[in-house]
Amino acid sequence: MGTEAGLSAGRLVGRPVRRREDERILRGKTRYLDDIDPPGAAHVAFVRSPFAHARIGGVEVPDALEGTFAAITAADLEGRVGDLPVQGIQGGWVAEQGHPVLASEEALYSGQPVAAVLAESRALAEDAAELVEVDYEPLEPVLDTRASDVTMSRWHKLSGDVEGAFRSAAHVVRASHSLPRLAPVPMEPRGAIASYDEAEDILTVWVSAQDSHRQLAGLAKVLDRPEESIHVIVPDVGGAFGSKGVPAPETVLVALAALTTGRTVKWAEDREENLVASYQGRGVEADVELALDADGKMLGLRARIRADLGAYLMPTTAIPAHTTAMLMCGVYDIQAADVEVVGARTNKVPTGPYRGAGRPEAAYFLECTVDVAARELGMDPLELRRRNLVREFPYKTALGWTYDSGDYERCLELAAELVGPERRSDEERVVGTGFGMYVERAGGQFESARAELLPDGRLLVRSGSSPHGQGHDTTFAQLAAERLGVGLEDVELRFGDSEEVPRGVGTFASRSVAMGGSAVVEAVDALKEKCAAVAARVLEVGEDEPAWGEGGSISAADGRTMSLRELAAAEPGIHADARFSSDLSFSSGAYGAVVEIERATGSLRVQRLVAVDDAGNIVNPLLAEGQVIGGIAQGLGQCLVEEAVYDEEGNPTFASFVGYSLLTAAEMPPVTAAFVESPTPLNPIGAKGIGEGGSIGTPAAMANAVADALGGIRVDPPFSEEKLWGALRKSGR
Amino acid sequence: MKPPPFEYQAPASVEEALPLLGPDSAVLAGGQSLVPLLNLRLARPELVVDLNGIAELDYIHADDGVLRIGAMTRQVALERSELVRERWPLLHKAVRFVGHAQIRTRGTVGGSVAHADPAAELPVALAALRARFLLRSPRGERVVGAAELFVGPLSTSREPDELLFEIEVPEHPAGAGAGFSEHARTHGDFATAGAAAVVVPGSHAGIALLGAGPVPARAEAAEEALVGGASAREAADLAVRDVEGEHRRALCGELARRAIEEALG
Repeated sequence: MGTEAGLSAGRLVGRPVRRREDERILRGKTRYLDDIDPPGAAHVAFVRSPFAHARIGGVEVPDALEGTFAAITAADLEGRVGDLPVQGIQGGWVAEQGHPVLASEEALYSGQPVAAVLAESRALAEDAAELVEVDYEPLEPVLDTRASDVTMSRWHKLSGDVEGAFRSAAHVVRASHSLPRLAPVPMEPRGAIASYDEAEDILTVWVSAQDSHRQLAGLAKVLDRPEESIHVIVPDVGGAFGSKGVPAPETVLVALAALTTGRTVKWAEDREENLVASYQGRGVEADVELALDADGKMLGLRARIRADLGAYLMPTTAIPAHTTAMLMCGVYDIQAADVEVVGARTNKVPTGPYRGAGRPEAAYFLECTVDVAARELGMDPLELRRRNLVREFPYKTALGWTYDSGDYERCLELAAELVGPERRSDEERVVGTGFGMYVERAGGQFESARAELLPDGRLLVRSGSSPHGQGHDTTFAQLAAERLGVGLEDVELRFGDSEEVPRGVGTFASRSVAMGGSAVVEAVDALKEKCAAVAARVLEVGEDEPAWGEGGSISAADGRTMSLRELAAAEPGIHADARFSSDLSFSSGAYGAVVEIERATGSLRVQRLVAVDDAGNIVNPLLAEGQVIGGIAQGLGQCLVEEAVYDEEGNPTFASFVGYSLLTAAEMPPVTAAFVESPTPLNPIGAKGIGEGGSIGTPAAMANAVADALGGIRVDPPFSEEKLWGALRKSGR
Repeated sequence: MKPPPFEYQAPASVEEALPLLGPDSAVLAGGQSLVPLLNLRLARPELVVDLNGIAELDYIHADDGVLRIGAMTRQVALERSELVRERWPLLHKAVRFVGHAQIRTRGTVGGSVAHADPAAELPVALAALRARFLLRSPRGERVVGAAELFVGPLSTSREPDELLFEIEVPEHPAGAGAGFSEHARTHGDFATAGAAAVVVPGSHAGIALLGAGPVPARAEAAEEALVGGASAREAADLAVRDVEGEHRRALCGELARRAIEEALG
């Protein structure tokens, strides 16, 4: 770990600077949504459907109770608010099945908001919510994609001579895979507070979210209000993992309640609501076929992917399965591919982006199929991979994306070397090794930043990107300080307030450093140009003459120098804006795992796990490693214990942590994280993305290690003792 | 997750507490189960009787070889008791598996017994040790064993007006070894299976299983076999012969074997 000494100026990018936001967080000086306590606020409790599928005959709200302000049902919303908007997918079709703010004639999943009660306290609101009488007529729920007759998204791509590839193949292998639904479980649940200033016609919304501008755009659209009349403030956020990207139906209701009642309205959801009503991740199955020639060269791929999208399309629900489809050729040079995705409607809470958001699914489906192929061909799985890796960049895949950079072979060799493959069995246990490789769509679209010189000569950077655990305040400061030649302490960052920061896209898809960081770098560069022009004018030299020196000072050729403070005094308010946009960049990696399974109980222990990630240039290796380890913890959680199970009536069995398990530090195996740095040519930093690699590479490597230990028998996650015990008995190992 | 309205009383003595107990009241000990149940609105008592102010229920002492544990004794006190570690090592081993340190700091021994969760460690260990449970009400006092107290999941034979007052544990037989093993999905999570054993080779065996049935119960056939010279494996197989589900049977059997082997040293 680097010491802070010596980091005051000069080379900052690439150094393991400790997170400077942590002291504030660890001392409890943060202000999360529920810490905001507006006096006189009305607190919301939602009445949620207890049925997976029911016709709603009517909703009766009780007469005014003491301490209760209002009850809102779907009837009160008519004409005032639309369903949540639905985003399309490139080259595909999505249904117009946006999520309603409140259920009106039908409730389509257990936990769906049906009514809202506003009261003096959350406790009183919950008491009153119990008295709301909803006339439900339970209907048969659809819980399996195969039983669903409603398609909500579809995408298909056929590229190259797939039929020919399969006809001429020496080997065709087939494998079916399934990844269960997962609850995102951020440490801080969701929540929103809204307040309406009628005189100014300004709606102010504080919301626990991944950024301010997507909330702003979403609210403006659903409420049919001009964006200028909405002010979104994102306070400190205690994690999201994708689940706070777009406005929740509950957030819209809070905003609407503030508009209609004139009161400040607060909703800070509890853990039960968060578990049953936040959109979930995964819930995808695939049948994959791979055609190979006699030497193991991959000739063609077919995949049929079925996604359990749930009852409605949240704005981003259709996106993860599309990402899965587009990444189905993975790190391999496969010239012919036929991939189809069908998103089916079921009576469950919608799915949406969750750390990895389609990438872990693609890696799992493909990499497990590659291991099946290696077993059928009698070939070393590492060798089969080597024979098929993409080696030249840029590389346009059969499915249409262009990989910008990478060194897949180096990642694979390093992972193999670091993990030390092992396969053995004795009376007590079986041991196996597996690998999983991945490519990750990262970055893309645009991000923005404003750099301002403050009167004291310090630098203020406003970013449209928005932190909720990633460490922006440190990494962005490293980028800006190094660019300007000042120390970290001379850079202040500002995020998350739609009136304070330029319009951005947000923090998701491992894009913050590559996109937000590049915008910061470009804004600082533009600021430097403006500063140089001011210096030239004051020093009365030619525009090109002033040269930057140590500590952000700028000098004329004769040695006369101006400090940043002097520049700020000479021309107050110097600032520059940047809007950086680029094509997608593609991170990649190779993961290796060694697992042992106990014969007597089926209990699995991860002996060791190796992560090799190529995220291009690394701005802060300490934070990058933290992202990898955090991602691995989530990937392992998915492998070992996490699964959002609905019972046969469609009731969630995961309404508390009794029914939904998360890994603890005690379950974390020894992890070795290494980096290969192939810079992307697409941005000035050369960085790709690191936020999701751990969650992408881990499940594939783990599943292949488990299959190796079980003598080739495959099981899908979570790898429960019962499944493994049964499989081990069948395997004869 | 806010509790429905309830009345609250915090008596300072057992004498004050007893008249408050009844069918519409709930007893608040460490709150590690009752408070979540209230917050989830699964428990809806009219009155919550908080025992945390009753100092006379917080004690651990040995009396003529019998260990007496006041119902309000924190689990952490049991864990840290030198007396318990030296002379009732099974209890010391078992309590360390209860939840996390934070939970053991608030959670009480009596609360764990009275809540009667089939996944709880202490009732299983106490059953293996042939502990007796003292119940007191305005009608008087009675003493029951585990077989009589635990009648189903989250259900005991305690009458609504009775207070679990004390747990008394007979002395470990001379030369006895103790073993406790369990399996949980993650560290500190509810156990899925487990076993407690206290054994003197050839003369005494107490074995009880966790997660094998609706209540913590001694495996008497296995105890007899073990005293009669059976191996740990044979006794464990006997202990789980009626456990439902192939994998659960295998898991419980393995954990019983480990507990017995640990007890045999």
